Amino acid sequence: MDVTLAQAALPREISLSEFLFSAELWTRDDGILDTLVDTAVLCGAVVLAATLVAVPLAAYLAHHGRGEIAVTWMVTLSRAVPTLAVAALLVPVSLRIGLGFEPWPIFIALLLLALPQIYINTYAAIRGADRGVVGAARGMGLTESAVLWRVEAALAGAVIMTSIRVAAVQVIATEPLRAFLGGDGLGRYVRDGLGQNSPSQIVGGTILIGLFAASTALAFRGAERLALPRGVTRLSSNAT
Amino acid sequence: MLRTFARRLRVLTVLLLLTLVAAACGGADESTDAAATDAAASDTDASDAAAAPEGPTIRIRGQDFSESATIAQVYGQYLQAKGYDVEIVAPAGFRAEAVAGLQNDELDLIVDYIGGSQTELAPDTETSDDPDQVIEVITPAYEEIGATVLEYSPAVDGDALVVRGDSEAETISDLAGMDLVFGASAQCFERPQCFLGYTDPDIYGIEFADTVTLEFGPLLGEGLAAGEVDAVVWNTTAPQIEEQGFKVLEDDKGLHPAQNIAPIVMTDVLEAYGDQLSADLNTLSAAITTEDLVAWNVQTDIEQREPDDVATEWLEAEGLN
Repeated sequence: MDVTLAQAALPREISLSEFLFSAELWTRDDGILDTLVDTAVLCGAVVLAATLVAVPLAAYLAHHGRGEIAVTWMVTLSRAVPTLAVAALLVPVSLRIGLGFEPWPIFIALLLLALPQIYINTYAAIRGADRGVVGAARGMGLTESAVLWRVEAALAGAVIMTSIRVAAVQVIATEPLRAFLGGDGLGRYVRDGLGQNSPSQIVGGTILIGLFAASTALAFRGAERLALPRGVTRLSSNAT
Repeated sequence: MLRTFARRLRVLTVLLLLTLVAAACGGADESTDAAATDAAASDTDASDAAAAPEGPTIRIRGQDFSESATIAQVYGQYLQAKGYDVEIVAPAGFRAEAVAGLQNDELDLIVDYIGGSQTELAPDTETSDDPDQVIEVITPAYEEIGATVLEYSPAVDGDALVVRGDSEAETISDLAGMDLVFGASAQCFERPQCFLGYTDPDIYGIEFADTVTLEFGPLLGEGLAAGEVDAVVWNTTAPQIEEQGFKVLEDDKGLHPAQNIAPIVMTDVLEAYGDQLSADLNTLSAAITTEDLVAWNVQTDIEQREPDDVATEWLEAEGLN
């Protein structure tokens, strides 16, 4: 019975402050906190997977000056493919092969959103690394992989991290779609609010999503400051 | 303020989707419009011989899902064939927009599900599985906006708790103790005639192992077929139920409200035509059955045919045009 009680809808007349500030709603089983963690885990997995695939691949290809056309194609495709359509098309497939509503359809759809974004920027940043510095590194006798990872990647680091941050924010802002495809996550409050004509849930859910996206962006900025080599930070602050 | 905002938001979403759909099938739309005008033209030609009823134009509009669109076409084309001056407006919105259409003098005739009308117009009243009791509630509610509820049809499109065909349950009561996963749209989880009624110890008292919120529509069937959910709330005339071999459980405690379809006409229009309009509409309502609704939905949703063609064919087969 506990499960069904927890799953029953929030009252439609709930006020916005009740929704946002009730400790019980946050901490109960399957409450806002659980939902937030659920969303964070999915989005984190997507961004991590996108980064692990896109950054090394783009860096390697850019270093060797290969795959320019692929980049052009990815720019076009990433703008043209709607995440909702991808996820909605994948749900029946996932159901038929026994993988359920979640998490694969929404994971793949979000990956397709984040991956091109990170790939394109990494590629452009590595290609755009100061040729003089790269030439000097070669002249000092660095190996090719050292040139790539210790010079080009370091110079491109700021741009790459910015692209990961932007991708993370996009993923968080798009993840609520999953609530409309048999899943949950923070979008559930928007979905339930629309279904039950309950504005506080719609607005409350939107605020939660927005705050989560904003704090993620801030956390990334902090991490960028800590992670980038001091020399590079100084370089880019001189440049701007 | 916020409530209207929510409604606007919903309308906006619907509009956005509509634009996408319209963009995707603009070509098809044009041809069906042409077909509709052709049909209308031939209908009026054929009935010129009979004494054409005199009165104002009757504007009818279906809600924005295929069953309601077909019903609007059936009523509209039927009246056209009888010589009434009818304008069949393209389907738009849902129940709230239909009622608003009557109030704003955009529409003169709508056809709604009576239990749905009750939750829209008198949300705090007790629902019933007896259509006559529902009519008693909605008749005065519609009178307040100057509309008259005519006789309801035997055709019903009600809520249905649906399970897979191999389930041992025959009635909703049988589900108690089966530890099933329950799936329904968000609205269901706060309605006494839906989730709250199924789990209420004084009514069905079912304990579900888990619940999943699913958008209303084909996703319900996909989830059921895949075994992700074991019981879903659908509507009785969903064509996928038969196509995928699902089973509608008997509502043995009468929880679901009666959902017969009934025409609702603006009273001034009804009076302008005298008794003839209500008599004609009642004849049509009596001729439509639940099986007809299912058959229409199979044609529109599974065979992808246009509601106006489906309506024309049915009226011809029934000899009503």
